[in-house]
Amino acid sequence: MWFQVNRNKFSVTLDLAEEKDREILRDLVGISDVLLENSRGGVMSKLGCRYEDLVKLRNDLIMVSMPAFGATGPYASFAGYGATIESVGGIQNLTGYHAGGKPHRVREMDVTSGVMGACAVMTGLMHRNRTGEGQYIDVSQLEAVTHGTIGEHLLAHAMHGNMNDPLGNRHRRFAPQGCYRCREEDNWLTLSIRSEEEWHSLCRVLGHPEWAADPRFSCNDARRRNHDEIDRLIEAWTIGRPHRDAFLTLQAAGIPAGAVLSVSEVGDDPHLAARGYFLNAEDGTEKRFMGMPFRFSRDPGRVRWRGPDLGRHNRLVVCDLLGRPPEDIPPVTETDIGTAFDPE
Amino acid sequence: MDETMKTALGHLRIIDLTHYMAGPYCAKLMAGFGAEVIKIERPGTGDGLRGLGPFYRDKADGEHSIPFLWLNTGKKSVTLNLKSERGIAIFKELIREADVVLENFAPRVMPSLGVGYDVIRDVNPRIVMTSISNFGQSGPYRDYKTEEIVTYALSGQMSLTGDPDRPPLASGPALCQYSAGQHAYVATLMALFQRSGTGDGQQVDVSILECALESVEMAVTNSIHLGKTARRAKHVIAPWDLYPCSDGYAAVISGPFRHWSKGAEIFQEPKLLDPKFRHVIDRITHRDEVEALILPWLRTQTKEAVFLAGQEHRLGFGFLADFEKVRKLPQHQRRGFFVAMEHPAVGTHDYCGAPFKMHQTPWQNARAPLLGEHNREVYGDGLGFSPAEMDTLGRKGVI
Repeated sequence: MWFQVNRNKFSVTLDLAEEKDREILRDLVGISDVLLENSRGGVMSKLGCRYEDLVKLRNDLIMVSMPAFGATGPYASFAGYGATIESVGGIQNLTGYHAGGKPHRVREMDVTSGVMGACAVMTGLMHRNRTGEGQYIDVSQLEAVTHGTIGEHLLAHAMHGNMNDPLGNRHRRFAPQGCYRCREEDNWLTLSIRSEEEWHSLCRVLGHPEWAADPRFSCNDARRRNHDEIDRLIEAWTIGRPHRDAFLTLQAAGIPAGAVLSVSEVGDDPHLAARGYFLNAEDGTEKRFMGMPFRFSRDPGRVRWRGPDLGRHNRLVVCDLLGRPPEDIPPVTETDIGTAFDPE
Repeated sequence: MDETMKTALGHLRIIDLTHYMAGPYCAKLMAGFGAEVIKIERPGTGDGLRGLGPFYRDKADGEHSIPFLWLNTGKKSVTLNLKSERGIAIFKELIREADVVLENFAPRVMPSLGVGYDVIRDVNPRIVMTSISNFGQSGPYRDYKTEEIVTYALSGQMSLTGDPDRPPLASGPALCQYSAGQHAYVATLMALFQRSGTGDGQQVDVSILECALESVEMAVTNSIHLGKTARRAKHVIAPWDLYPCSDGYAAVISGPFRHWSKGAEIFQEPKLLDPKFRHVIDRITHRDEVEALILPWLRTQTKEAVFLAGQEHRLGFGFLADFEKVRKLPQHQRRGFFVAMEHPAVGTHDYCGAPFKMHQTPWQNARAPLLGEHNREVYGDGLGFSPAEMDTLGRKGVI
């Protein structure tokens, strides 16, 4: 997991409680475009590493802070995980098997926040590119995930005061939509019908073209009223098939459908394979890596090396990049390093 | 849009062909940071999202769609019929002076209209063309149709959402659409950044599915590297869930672990401080016991009191806020996260404002456009069409 999330990064160990290591950080800032951090409010200040301090070292510095709740406000110093933010942000209310049921978490708040941080970095770089001016950017993870997932729900609430109750696997407007059991254990198929044309195609695939004209099902409103019945009819078909077969059969008929793939099935997916999505690392790491979420016609993106061992690049950065003597290389020893799992 | 404010992207012109959600969220981000976003919509109906609700006061007339109003802030709207020859010619004129073309049609569409990337590059080699599609511009699923639940299912995310003994569960928010929009924004800026060195644009291929995979990156990697297949399950660590309080749910989150021993005192349950629960591994092993021990005190407290008590003890507690609470959250209020915006069709309401706060080039708030609201400005002032010419084009269904 470390190998994937931290691919292509350099690893340097610095104990920022030590002045000598803070000096190394300051040297690094002096030759860098962007400083990225996600400590709770107040931490960088205690380390003498606020934007106001660091911009003296490099006047076009872009500093991006990503604290859970933002750099200002009554919650600025609060700790926050995905679970914290998903609940305080109200996001968790929206996912559940039915209205009033237990709220469920979704996948994945941390990634939405992280990508919003990337948005901030690139926006800052665009401005600096044109004007030479850096700046401080405050990315509240709470605001990032709210803006990036439920802006429309909050607007609906502002307008109407409604709460957007969870609907399980159904669509707010169209019917049928759902998740249907397939032949194998814990194998499921999703599909969604948004038009009469898609409904007619589905009826043909299910072997009952006459359902297209059946008054129980002949328009969206009727299908909404009889959704339970339609779900039974669909599941009578899916239950006899493997989920991927059902998915491919329905898609061949122009119906939006998708097997619920497990994470290992994603790794074996033929479309992703045909796209060359999974990549080999150029450092010879044996296992494949997940690829890039987008690709450029000029350069598709590479995995140069897997996520590095702790402090692997201490010498490279401190001596080769910063020109400091070998004595300045921070040591990396097992006893010095605690882990986040330690009770104190 | 306040023209005098310094913006990060104010030097950019975006020709925006996107519709529905993923593309429009990318374009919304560009507009908010100052780019001029010219949204091209079909004459008559416009972006299909205008016809999808929920609608303000249930009025389904194209100017009351709540998701449209949210996703299209800050943009200009022109109507243009891309299925007409004259419409394509006008499109080519528009891109001559543009920096970016954004589109999220099915991959066959732009080439079939005669404006694939090769044609666009001939008209203006500096254009960055960002093409967002369900499965990318290639591959066996390339022409497949989706709905949000279908993408969420194919990405592996849905297999991890819901209860272990119940069906997989779709996400309430349209996560895959928004994630693709965010990624397309990052990618477009990266291509523009590269252009500033080389002078040339390029095409960017954004697959909504491949963006969605980022949200299961760790689980997919654990499967490939370690042969483990994660499935729907409670969070491994305890406590790390919503638990009932006197007036709702608190998120009792027992991290950072180094603060748990002290923090556990708030539950007024001496058994919780037993050394057998001290290490997180122990709390995983004895999960049911730990969860039972925290419940009695929680039942005597409001969820917000629990949230604040946990945070005072340096633990990442939360509480399940309903939207009424969210809009009044002191943190959002103090930071001015919500902004009031007026719109001619629906009046003034609070919208979420900035996705993040840039200190030199702040986010700009401006409402969504009416259909074709900027035809006169873009075609008249911009391309020099006379009012008579524009009337003719309108009657012919070109604009």
